[in-house]
Amino acid sequence: MRLVLVGFGNLGRGLSRVLIQKASFLRRSHGLIPRVVAAVDEFGAAVDEKGLNLTRLLRVAGKAGTVAAYRGGKRGKFALRVIEGVEADVVYELTPTNIKTGEPGLTHIKRAMRAGKHVITSNKGPLVVAFRELDSLARRCGVEFRYSASVGGAVPVVGLAKELLAGNEIREIRGVLNGTTNYILTRMSREGAPFEVVLREAQELGVAEKDPTLDIEGIDTASKITILANSLLGMNARLKDVKVAGIKRVRPEAIRLAKEAGQMIKLIGIAKRGSLEVGPKLVPLGHPLAVGGTLNAVTFELDLAREISITGFGAGPKETSSSLLGDLIDIHRTLGG
Amino acid sequence: MLVKIVMELEDVPGQLLKALEPISRLGGNIQSIMHQRERKTPLGRIPVMLVFEVGDRARLNRILATLRARGVRVTQLGEREGAARTTALLIGPHTDIRDTIDRLDALRGVRVSDLSLAMGGLGQESAARMTITTDDEKRASLAISNLQRIAARKKLLLITSLEAG
Repeated sequence: MRLVLVGFGNLGRGLSRVLIQKASFLRRSHGLIPRVVAAVDEFGAAVDEKGLNLTRLLRVAGKAGTVAAYRGGKRGKFALRVIEGVEADVVYELTPTNIKTGEPGLTHIKRAMRAGKHVITSNKGPLVVAFRELDSLARRCGVEFRYSASVGGAVPVVGLAKELLAGNEIREIRGVLNGTTNYILTRMSREGAPFEVVLREAQELGVAEKDPTLDIEGIDTASKITILANSLLGMNARLKDVKVAGIKRVRPEAIRLAKEAGQMIKLIGIAKRGSLEVGPKLVPLGHPLAVGGTLNAVTFELDLAREISITGFGAGPKETSSSLLGDLIDIHRTLGG
Repeated sequence: MLVKIVMELEDVPGQLLKALEPISRLGGNIQSIMHQRERKTPLGRIPVMLVFEVGDRARLNRILATLRARGVRVTQLGEREGAARTTALLIGPHTDIRDTIDRLDALRGVRVSDLSLAMGGLGQESAARMTITTDDEKRASLAISNLQRIAARKKLLLITSLEAG
């Protein structure tokens, strides 16, 4: 299978490392031979229809800060030209998320689909802005569209619901979907430290971003709730439909009071038909959503199975590669490979 | 606490009054009375279901003893205290927490049964935890939606239980 990687940041590099590491496993177990024929980032592109040497690509891009440094690579904006012009089966859209416009991911995905290429993405932006449009465009163009990595990182939220629980009606989805805020709340709970102190520490550790607004104000969680509402509940929801409260005002005293009553405070996203919500909630100790650290957890409320919960790592290049690679194998199987 | 009893009364005038009088005299607040004429016993007595509120256990015992002394047969006794109980946290300035509690207590079948306050540092917000006890789940969600409105108006951050929906 010929792949194009659009975006070569943490996720693009993480996926490349996994493709190297798993090459013989993929061939042996799945009859899948992935070949990265192009990699693009915001500074340039590297193309080789016989397949890029990923070890070399990682080395030169690591040093120069762009894939353009690869032998024969070019500097400049090439994303659309590569997406449309290079012969390939699957486009990986892994550029940074913009939840307001969805760009540049949105255009990348649309052009790839119109060019007859299957799309796998981790990018929440296009899914939040234009889920229905992309979903029907994929069908019209006769291509596969997968986005497991956009919600839950390594936790197979979308796949579990769409495949294994396909016989159920999903009544409600509740989840801890943001590792950064869960880390902050966990540290506040264990040490009684104030929000600002723990946030600074999380930024130093790289758990929180320099601008943590999207995380701590609950907007990242709201984006994921929007995606789940659209993809699993069949809704046509926008980000503005989600009622959002963040964790900025959660004080150590509140966490202590909760603890005395056997409860933890967690930032929870809730999706049910007619009501989308994100906010801090009281969760009993020992509840499936009472997970610590940077973990993510999701509970489905279902008509047949009643309740199913899953937990796992919601971020990290290697962990997220699990979902990105799973999507590729899934497309490979769907196409009869 | 809210108490539900079923008592059996003879089908002659004046019986109901005989049963109700000691309840209200001893501080019980009667909320509903239901005659179950269709369930008349073989001895011709009529079951009457009664729901009343009473301050504490001791008062309830006094009421029950008085009823027994007057020959009223109580066949079922159930406390409905804590039928539904939910915890909520409020974060913000708590200068008028009393008002919040009064507004909740004013709802029928809703009572703030526990309150803990933790004051923040100088110039910082405080946290309050309240346990809200209600007769049933429906009243619990009514209490929560009222609390949501109060919190929005007072600009408090409300953290409800995940199970409270």
